[in-house]
Amino acid sequence: MKGLPTIALILISLLCALFIYVAEDIPVFGDPNSPPIKYVKLFSIGADVLEDPLNWSVIPNNLMDEFEKRGFAGPSRVERVTGMEGEWNAFIPKEEVHYSKEEKYYWIKKEGDQLNVYRYAFVVRWIEKGQQETGTPNMVTYGLADYRGYDTLGETAVIFTAGVCVILLLRRRGKL
Amino acid sequence: MIPFIQLFSLYVIIHGASGPGGGFQGGVVFGASFILYVVAFDITRGRRRLPESVNTVLSSLGLYIYAGLGLLCIILSSGVAQYLNYGFLPFTAHFEENRALGIELVEMAIGITVMAIMISIFFDLAWKEENRERRGRQGLK
Repeated sequence: MKGLPTIALILISLLCALFIYVAEDIPVFGDPNSPPIKYVKLFSIGADVLEDPLNWSVIPNNLMDEFEKRGFAGPSRVERVTGMEGEWNAFIPKEEVHYSKEEKYYWIKKEGDQLNVYRYAFVVRWIEKGQQETGTPNMVTYGLADYRGYDTLGETAVIFTAGVCVILLLRRRGKL
Repeated sequence: MIPFIQLFSLYVIIHGASGPGGGFQGGVVFGASFILYVVAFDITRGRRRLPESVNTVLSSLGLYIYAGLGLLCIILSSGVAQYLNYGFLPFTAHFEENRALGIELVEMAIGITVMAIMISIFFDLAWKEENRERRGRQGLK
C-alpha cells in the first residue's frame, strides 16, 4: 500500500507524456491552412509535362485519366491561385451529382518535381461562400440554422421531448 | 431586475445572426429570468403570472413554427422539395435576405421552445417538492 502513491505518480506522468506527445500532432487551433481544415490529399503525379498546360488553363489528359481512375469527377476548369506560383484551383462543372453550381473543388500544388492533387475540405467552401449565400455574418449561426437546419430541428425536438417526459413523470396531481 | 434580464435575452436571440448568441442561449436566459421570479417571490404567484396552459402551448409553439417554416419552404419551392431552405420564403425579393430572415425566425422559434421547456421543468420539480413538504408538515401535526 505504501508504494501506491509512487505508482500513481508514475502513471499520471506517463499519461501526461502521452498527451503531450499526441498534442504535438494537433494543428494550431483555428489555423486556416492546417490539413484537416483545408484539404485532403488525393494523389501525386510527375510534374514534368503537366505544369505548362495547367498554366495555360488547360487540363492535361493524363491528369483527367488519373481523376477518373480513382472515381472522382474530372475538373472542368483550372485557374492559377492568384499571387502564387505553382498552385492551381480546379473547378468541377455545373450539374455535377451533388452540386447545382460550379464549385472550387480540387487544389493542385507543385512540390519538388511532383504535382500533389488535393481535394478542398468542405469547411473552405463554408467559410468562403457562407456569408454571401445566407446574408448572415456569423459563421456559427448560419451553420446551425441554415446548412444544418434539419439537425437543429432535431435538437429542439430533443429538448421538447425532455420537457414532455418530465411532465409525464412528475406532474401527476396526487395520483400515483 | 427581471425586465433587464429579459431584455438581455432578447438581445442575445436577435444578435445571434451577427455576434455570439442564438436561440438556445437566449431561451435559457429568458427561462432563468422567470425562474428567478419564482425563487424570489412565490411559486403560486409565478404560476399565476404564467399559467400552465400558456406554458404548454408555448413549449410546442416554437417547434410548430420551425417545422411549419420548413413545410412552407416545401410548398413555396414548388416541386423541388427543399425542406428548410428559407430562400423560397416570400419575405423580400432577394434569395439571400430571405435566408437571413429565415434564420432569425428559426432562432426565435428555438428560443420560445427552450424558454417554455425550462420553465415547465422547473415548475414540475418545484411543485413536487412543495407537495412533499406540505405532506411532511401535516404528518408532524
